[in-house]
Amino acid sequence: MNMCHRFRPFLNKLLDVPVTDPDDSRRRKLLNVILAGLFVILVAAFLATIGQIASGDATQENISLSWKLLAVIAGTYVTYYINRNISGFIASTVFLFFLLVVISISDTPKELIDGRSLLYFTIPVAMASMLIRPYFSFVFALLSTINLFILGYISGLAPNILAMFGYFLLALVSWLSSRSLEQALQELRVLNRDLDHRVEVRTRELSEALTRELIEAGKTQAILQGIADGVLVFDQTNKIIVANPSMGSLTGIRPNKLIGLDIPTFCQEEGIVPADRPRLQALLEKPSPNAQAVRVRWNKKTLSVNAAPVVSGLGETFGSVAVFRDFTREAEIEQMKNNFVAMVSHELRTPLNAVLAYAEMLRDAIFGPLNTKQFDAANRIYVNSQRLLNIISDLLDQAQIEAGRLKIQLAETPTIELLENLRSTMEKPAQDKGLQLITEIAPNVPQTITCDSHRIQQILVNLVNNAIKFTPQGHVAVHIFLADAHTWALAVSDTGPGIPPDDQAYVFEPFWQVESITTREHGGIGLGLSIVKRLAMLMGGDIKLESTVGKGSTFTVTLPLQPVLQKEESK
Amino acid sequence: MTDKPLAIIIEDDQDLCEIFTQALQAANFATETIRDGKTAFQRIAEEPVPHTIILDLHLPHVDGTQILKQIKSDARTSNVRVVITTADTVSAELLRDEADFVLVKPISFAQLRDLAARLHPSRKTGPLGPLRTG
Repeated sequence: MNMCHRFRPFLNKLLDVPVTDPDDSRRRKLLNVILAGLFVILVAAFLATIGQIASGDATQENISLSWKLLAVIAGTYVTYYINRNISGFIASTVFLFFLLVVISISDTPKELIDGRSLLYFTIPVAMASMLIRPYFSFVFALLSTINLFILGYISGLAPNILAMFGYFLLALVSWLSSRSLEQALQELRVLNRDLDHRVEVRTRELSEALTRELIEAGKTQAILQGIADGVLVFDQTNKIIVANPSMGSLTGIRPNKLIGLDIPTFCQEEGIVPADRPRLQALLEKPSPNAQAVRVRWNKKTLSVNAAPVVSGLGETFGSVAVFRDFTREAEIEQMKNNFVAMVSHELRTPLNAVLAYAEMLRDAIFGPLNTKQFDAANRIYVNSQRLLNIISDLLDQAQIEAGRLKIQLAETPTIELLENLRSTMEKPAQDKGLQLITEIAPNVPQTITCDSHRIQQILVNLVNNAIKFTPQGHVAVHIFLADAHTWALAVSDTGPGIPPDDQAYVFEPFWQVESITTREHGGIGLGLSIVKRLAMLMGGDIKLESTVGKGSTFTVTLPLQPVLQKEESK
Repeated sequence: MTDKPLAIIIEDDQDLCEIFTQALQAANFATETIRDGKTAFQRIAEEPVPHTIILDLHLPHVDGTQILKQIKSDARTSNVRVVITTADTVSAELLRDEADFVLVKPISFAQLRDLAARLHPSRKTGPLGPLRTG
């Protein structure tokens, strides 16, 4: 076996002719095989002859044979050389022609024409179709026929027509079989080439895809490594599969220690302030593209966390990604601002409360009767301190809404009560300004609505107050109706100057009012509408404005119709 | 001893103390004022038990919420009507369920007087309904 293994490459090297045309290569290899076989036989015969001569049988015949053998060996080698290095066609033609000649002189003409050697001529005919071209069997059948004629002519014998016919018949058979063999091979090669091509294309595609993916992965990796925000990626089973280096520096936990943790385990990490854990867990377990960021205190840092599902182009969810941003500095500033605003407001309120109440007591004659001028003065003190207090209240509310501290308490409330409470507060200011306050409830609105009536009241008072402030004459109307099956709405419309389209987008911004002059004229610092909007959004609703300059404005607050609550839920 | 019900006003600001006193007296209450948390804490353990307490949350020494807790947990005083006064709407939010009433400052004279009148034992109009304040 071993020998065979070592011998085979050598043999292949000896016999293979490396040319591009596979047919040529195959033919030349075949010729090489024949030549090699012939070579071995000739060398063996030569050695045997030499042996005979050496053993004393040095007849003239033996010596002549050894010279002839040597010549044929050399001829074989030359043919091999031509076949290998120059041309298979020439080598094969020369070889077969030589074979024909050898056959022609190997026996007596009689035996060649009619006797035992007649069939030898079939050898080059058959071989020609294999070694040269399929149709060359006819060439050699013709050559053999000519040969027979020549031999017949020389020896004066009649030509063997039957044998000649036999040669051509053999040539035909050889031609047919060689040709079909070549065609079959040809088809096989085409098939192979096609297959090779397909494999090549597929391989290229695969490698391109792989390269692309590697580049993408590399980019993603680089982004993940580079950004200052901590990033966690969760798989479909809510286990962490990616944690970037920033995640480590934000939390003080090595990123690879986070890999594999599920959400509840992750949320129990020591550094997280226990009160913030449920919030974080809720966010991570229900990631949403519109989810509001959650603040989580972690060690001494405040992190703003957001989570969103990872969805494929086909809408399939692969898991989720959570981003942790260092919010410490912002949170501190915000806290300072809130503390400052709340403190200032508180410190301002207490003395103003005293001023206000004393003015009220004076005006209402608690300390004895007043003349008209005294009453007027007391009333002015009262009204102006009230204005100042409203400003402070607005500031305080704004600060609290921004701090996210206001909570919504839902309770079933008779719908009519919302408007009654409003009337009791706002009827007088409206009348004082000569405005009519109209309130109405659409007939399809339920008798009771689940809402935070305190907040609704704040919204209504703010909107109506605003409307009264800006409406010189006419009316202010409050309308409760159902916007659709799931939404109810409060609309406050006035017959005021209206808000120019360009300004409409800004009215819900804090500290904004139409033209600065109105500020002086109407007082207030413009926090009202922004508070209304924040309150509406806090309750899952929204506010929109429709306004025509010169005709009036309508603010519509839409709120979700809450299902009737159970007692426990309302707590 | 007068037969007027007693109201204790716990408030550190002198002017507001004065105003609250006037309002409660106008509503026919007898009044007592305390200016700091520590004294208030001692006073509620003593007799006589008041009918109503007006309690400010921001007090020196002892915080108003602690005093509220003490009043509500002691059987002697747990029935006392407590009106919380505060300028902090967040505290007011948190105490919406615990106190009987929460008044958010600014508190007007008339507002407190009217509330006190509703709380007055001579008013026999059944249980008090919800009163919107603040």
